[in-house]
Amino acid sequence: MKRNNKTYSCRLIPVFLILIMIAGMLTGCGSKKSEFGESPVHSPDDLAGKTIGVQLGTTGDLYASDEEGATVQGFNKGADAVQALKQGKVDCVVIDEQPAKAFTERNRDLSILDDAFAVEDYAICVAKGNDELTEKINAALKKLKKDGTLDQIIGNYIGDDTKGKQPYESPEDVDTSNGTLVMATNAEFEPYEYREDGKIVGIDAEMAQAVADQLGMKLEIEDMLFDSIITAVQSGKADIGVAGMTVTEDRLKNIDFTDSYATSKQVIIVRNGKSADAFDLKQSIHQNFIKESRWKYLVNGLATTMEITLLAVIIGIVLGFVIAILRFSCDKTGGLKLLNWILKAYLTVIRGTPAMIQLLIIYYVIFASTNVSKVLVAVVAFGLNSSAYIAEIVRSGLSSIDPGQFEAGRSLGFTYVQTMRYFILPQAFKNVLPALGNEFIVLLKETSISGYIGIMDLTRGGDFIRSRTYEAFFPLIAVAIIYLIIVMILSVLVGKLERSLKNDEQ
Amino acid sequence: MNNNDVMIHVEDLKKSFSDVDVLTGITTDIKKGEVLVILGPSGCGKSTFLRCLNLLEEPTGGHIYLDGTEVTDPKNNINQIRQSMMMVFQHFNLFPHKTILENLTIAPIKLKGMPKAEADKKGMELLERVGLAEKADAYPSQLSGGQKQRVAICRALAMDPEVILFDEPTSALDPEMVGEVLDVMKELAKSGMTMICVTHEMGFAREVANRIIFLDNGKIAEDGTPEQVFDHPKNERLKAFLSKIL
Repeated sequence: MKRNNKTYSCRLIPVFLILIMIAGMLTGCGSKKSEFGESPVHSPDDLAGKTIGVQLGTTGDLYASDEEGATVQGFNKGADAVQALKQGKVDCVVIDEQPAKAFTERNRDLSILDDAFAVEDYAICVAKGNDELTEKINAALKKLKKDGTLDQIIGNYIGDDTKGKQPYESPEDVDTSNGTLVMATNAEFEPYEYREDGKIVGIDAEMAQAVADQLGMKLEIEDMLFDSIITAVQSGKADIGVAGMTVTEDRLKNIDFTDSYATSKQVIIVRNGKSADAFDLKQSIHQNFIKESRWKYLVNGLATTMEITLLAVIIGIVLGFVIAILRFSCDKTGGLKLLNWILKAYLTVIRGTPAMIQLLIIYYVIFASTNVSKVLVAVVAFGLNSSAYIAEIVRSGLSSIDPGQFEAGRSLGFTYVQTMRYFILPQAFKNVLPALGNEFIVLLKETSISGYIGIMDLTRGGDFIRSRTYEAFFPLIAVAIIYLIIVMILSVLVGKLERSLKNDEQ
Repeated sequence: MNNNDVMIHVEDLKKSFSDVDVLTGITTDIKKGEVLVILGPSGCGKSTFLRCLNLLEEPTGGHIYLDGTEVTDPKNNINQIRQSMMMVFQHFNLFPHKTILENLTIAPIKLKGMPKAEADKKGMELLERVGLAEKADAYPSQLSGGQKQRVAICRALAMDPEVILFDEPTSALDPEMVGEVLDVMKELAKSGMTMICVTHEMGFAREVANRIIFLDNGKIAEDGTPEQVFDHPKNERLKAFLSKIL
């Protein structure tokens, strides 16, 4: 009884730690003022010697890099760049005009400079050499421009009078007999593409729908990182890339562009010296989790994360045990040298390269031309990755068993396989259980890179909320706490299993 | 060699580890019901000889026959042969994740297809015979060394073997536990079991063995009854060996 009480209170310690952490961070937030003052940038001519925040791979990134004497800091998302500006980490942010407006509307302490940084045209990108599709899209765009559909779509998102009042609707008798048109985008770029109630909407999405209707095709939108869009179109994962993309020389080397469908400006956002909005806990929670049912991103993301982790663990354990047993047997008997060598090479390659690179290679190289589900790709990638670690864990477990156990089994008349099965593996499994549990936990957290191939996992779910609310604190902390809770539950389960196996032979 | 009395026939048995010749040609017959004790200085190849008999070590030359079946012939199923030639180890090698009774019953159940109830009944009888019936549901880690070795002997007996090989069965035991194991072995010898023992227990060898082999430099240096070997040793090395340990 006493012992139980003790373990119970031990388990509560992490919970207390979390609560203290949150409380500390909340007080930190509450006192947030504009500590960093006005930006030292007042016009596009002031950029020399300043730090410019940009979204990686955007034209803003490209132009800013040409700016002499300025330091450019790239971020995965525009929202991250803006966050960095608010926190004084960069002096200004160069970004497309429309998202810039959205950012400044929500942040009293930020303003857009009157002088634009650059003017540019947006176009749809198509795989190099796919001239037939490029021409068809150009024809469709021409028609949509002529009959006013394009203006109607843009007006539905930009312009105070028309906003939200004139959505594009597909014709009743729309024909989709010409197959599917897969569009790659990065739905974190309001108003061109973003998520509302879980659906991808925006100028680009509606425009692409109108184009698809013209082509007699069914539109399918694939959401991914901005950086991945061109690769996806090149590798055939997507037919077109539409993401407020400007035609640049570098991009033209890898990809073709259609005629432009919209014009935008790259503008500069700066801190205007006003104090930031007062922190309102209730409002902030509402904004991040309740509004538009944003908590659903976390719940659905968690489900995906768990799905990937569990399936990958199964692959990892099965494959890992097979590899471990083969390698152990090869080492023991000195036979099958070639197989042993191949397995060693496999372990070296898998353990010697980052999981993220493996994930990207499996998605963009190995499954480049096949249309498989991304979750399956992630399961395969993480399963293979985990199998290498599990194989070495299990092999060390097998080696830890007294050779006398093996001799005892064989001397009774059991075959090699039977001896492994009845005597060696059960003991080895028990010895490696803590390490296996740890591997499970590592794998769970490792899956947070699934977003790189556009899977909406828990981490990416939090990112989406961030990209909509332009707040880092709650989405990130919520994601961290969910991971922590799952890991704690897993630790308890592994501990229980360990104890129940240990009870067997005290 | 097809004499009905011969249980094990060993012919010119050789064993080398890389460039060390451990056994350099051993030829002998072991009769049914015989209790053979193998003596010899440390490193003379006693344990290697024993482990060659059930192929835990692969001999580099020679032939071994068990009851007329050639053990060293790769065509014969060694797993089948081992079922009638059990081994008791110096370090017991009980299965720590199985109860005492399970240690006894797993081989008959899995290898002979014996029904569990029958195997359990037989296992309990064996445990009673060695005075450990109340430990049936305990795990090996809860037993003393002497108790473990008695269980290991029962594990061998549970398979109804023709021969039991004892590889220094008392060497890892505290002195006060040696007796209880030797008592079981004595009782077993009386029941007519064919036993080959590598041991340093001279009292046991003199009292229980029918025959003693003294190994030296990988060969049989002396072979005879306990009286011959202990009281009238001819080989000089044997004399030196006995003077050191007696």
